[in-house]
Amino acid sequence: MITREEIIQKTNEALSAEFELSAEKLVPTANFQTDLGLDSLDAVDMVVVLEQKFGFTLRQGYDIRSMVTLNDLYNFIEKLARENNK
Amino acid sequence: MDALRTCFNTIFIAPAAILWLAVSALVAEPFLYFFGDKNGKMVRKFVYVQSRGIVFFMRLASRGLRVEIAPRTSKPYVVVANHASALDLYTIGALGFDNVVYITKGWVFKIPFFHFVMDRAGYLDAEKTPPEEMLSRCQKAVENGCSIVLFPQGSRKNPQARFKSGAFYLAEKLNLPVVPVAIAGTQIMLPAGAKCIKAAKIVLKSFPEVSCAGYGGEIGHLKMAQDIKKQIMNFVNQECV
Repeated sequence: MITREEIIQKTNEALSAEFELSAEKLVPTANFQTDLGLDSLDAVDMVVVLEQKFGFTLRQGYDIRSMVTLNDLYNFIEKLARENNK
Repeated sequence: MDALRTCFNTIFIAPAAILWLAVSALVAEPFLYFFGDKNGKMVRKFVYVQSRGIVFFMRLASRGLRVEIAPRTSKPYVVVANHASALDLYTIGALGFDNVVYITKGWVFKIPFFHFVMDRAGYLDAEKTPPEEMLSRCQKAVENGCSIVLFPQGSRKNPQARFKSGAFYLAEKLNLPVVPVAIAGTQIMLPAGAKCIKAAKIVLKSFPEVSCAGYGGEIGHLKMAQDIKKQIMNFVNQECV
């Protein structure tokens, strides 16, 4: 089973590579819009890169665009990883 | 000297350019309204003529305007350009794209006069059009011989912003090549929020078309967005030193 630390590391790696974000900005309290400058169109790309990274679909009954902070995203991926026995 | 040039551009050239847009629209609109074709081709040609006029005024206001066009086949394309100025919209015409459909943000459709032309030219609202409809309307435009133009950065606020992948996904789905376009200098001449027109060196360059075939897989369009951004911004940053 993947640990929370691994989830955070993999998520940050994916976001940093795709969205040209520096590691210092990727803190759990970072707000997607105000701190990271990501909008709803970026959310579509975010889903694609994270699905590729984790190997399961993130489009399962929850709209990723409604998440506010990076911590919300970590929690969501952790929950899905458990459900998918990853 | 720079301040004098900025004053001249702002007081004389900018109003002349606006007058050109207004007078050409007043002359052409009745004709287009009564005799324009259904698919909007004549309106798009009219926008092309207006754009060429604006590029002429940009040339007058600039410290030199250079256009470089790489050879390309005469097919529809998805044209993608960096975006840092309101002038960028008009530069596409200078690169020889005379029958294009723009995909823009919703607020552009709310500008008086503009929306009238945009609707009839078949331009698409990126925020209001659902993805499936967007695909089918773009497909229809391509069948009518149009190229699709997008500014993948989505905003003029950050000239170095990443390229969102929607344009490249569209190219993949419509099986069209992508033509990267670099616009250098307009962000100095008229950046977002500016009220004065500075004299700047302008360089417009269209690169050879890029096929989607080399970018397979689920994240192929994301990789293409990164590669094309790098190609465009390397050129822009080099020209703007």
